[in-house]
Amino acid sequence: MARLDGKVAVILGASDSRSMGAATARRFAAEGAQLVLAARRADAVAAVAAELGAIAIACDITDEPQLAALAKAAVDSYGRLDIAVNYAGIGGSGAILETSADLFRQQAEVHFVGTGLFIKHMALAMTPAANGTGGGSIITASSLTVLVQAPDHGAYAGSKGGADVLVKVAANELGERGIRVNSIAPGFTKSAMTDAYFAMPAVTNAFLKEMPLGRFPTVEDIANTALWLASDEAFVTGQRIDVTAGQALRRTPRPEEFV
Amino acid sequence: MGRLSGKAALVVGAAGVENMGQAIARRFADEGARVAVAGRNMDVLETLAADIGGVALPCDFSDRASIFAMVEGARTALGGLDVAVNATGWGLLKPFLETTDEDFDRMYALQLRGPFQFLQALIPAMATGGSVIQISSATATIMFHDHDAYMATKAGTDHMIRSVANQFGDRGIRFNSVSPGVTETPMTADAAAVPGLMDAFRKGYPLGRHGTREDVAAACVWLASDESFMTGENMQVNGGLSLRGNPSKAEIEAAVAAAVATS
Repeated sequence: MARLDGKVAVILGASDSRSMGAATARRFAAEGAQLVLAARRADAVAAVAAELGAIAIACDITDEPQLAALAKAAVDSYGRLDIAVNYAGIGGSGAILETSADLFRQQAEVHFVGTGLFIKHMALAMTPAANGTGGGSIITASSLTVLVQAPDHGAYAGSKGGADVLVKVAANELGERGIRVNSIAPGFTKSAMTDAYFAMPAVTNAFLKEMPLGRFPTVEDIANTALWLASDEAFVTGQRIDVTAGQALRRTPRPEEFV
Repeated sequence: MGRLSGKAALVVGAAGVENMGQAIARRFADEGARVAVAGRNMDVLETLAADIGGVALPCDFSDRASIFAMVEGARTALGGLDVAVNATGWGLLKPFLETTDEDFDRMYALQLRGPFQFLQALIPAMATGGSVIQISSATATIMFHDHDAYMATKAGTDHMIRSVANQFGDRGIRFNSVSPGVTETPMTADAAAVPGLMDAFRKGYPLGRHGTREDVAAACVWLASDESFMTGENMQVNGGLSLRGNPSKAEIEAAVAAAVATS
């Protein structure tokens, strides 16, 4: 018996076939889950959805009605919602002294407000646990920047850190419905979003030195972690699971080390 | 095909009937691992080993030579060593001001020096990489009364796990710890027998129940498997207890008194 048999999962942020969202979708599908895949543009998830026989839907995490519609799509299509994973994110960097109000707000809008509303609407669509059924698992992407200082990532790290606090608050409040809420902090992971960095050996070499396990996390590592948190086996809630190759124990290299 | 097929695993602290180590060993065997179980009571270990097709090894976890002999015995018997779990522990409950040096020394030997020696034995023995799992406790971070020596040594061992993860990751060995909350095991059987006592803990669990041995075993399977790329971390496997905390001594006493009054 597969580990997610009978489960219905929403995955937001699966818009590239090499993304964490796509890898998670493939892993969940292989374990028997029925899927609703979402990204800002529905056509961006169409290929992965077609590959897996999943439903594709457009959803912008900064738009509350669209989040409610995403949860409703799962319930309308499959009769229930058990698992919701949020990888929606947006890059943005700058030193604090140069960060505009617009950048702070944009990062907070996507990572903090968006995560909060994602948790809210996914939890509302999940059936409260009773007699061994119902409940669910909500998973959201945190960041290595919450764990070790990354130069010029104040707005990004601050918004991600705020979301981790929301995860704890939501876990405490939603436990009585049997809903678990956790985050995954990926390390410097090879994915579509980091292609530009991986094209620069000076950058990757500097990062690799800070990874005790000596290799970069992959999108499959993140997908496997999501699978663990999604399955009924995980008696874990309100936690951040770090998948950083051990980089959380060390540091982020500074730009002047990229030589 | 099991999630630990082809792996050789050692579980120390499996010599108590139906204790946490036994649940972990059984689950590992169910997932296809070859398993060695160790502890102080060979009769109990041999019964378990026969049940799961494993190997039983004696170990006094407060003795260096015994720990090294166990690790070498497991490596030889299993033809290698990929996974190692330390599930030993001593749940001493004693008021801080009454805890003696002898109590503390015994706790230190079992819960801090023992893990140190276990890691020293394991790192060279895990020639092709692997996963080391230390059973910690929610009380390594949250409070509980009269549990000082236990809590301090668990917290120290968690940090040692981070330290070896940092230094020996290049050997392909991952090191993590798992923190259950109060779990029904032989170690807590006396407490569970007191009317009302376990109920006093329940409101500390957002998920509405306390943990089981099987919850901990499931987390160990995940950490032991190649699916986990975690290292140097502590995973709280306690249904959110770490968010709320344990009941105070006064709350426990009140719950017990109420249960006794209505029984």
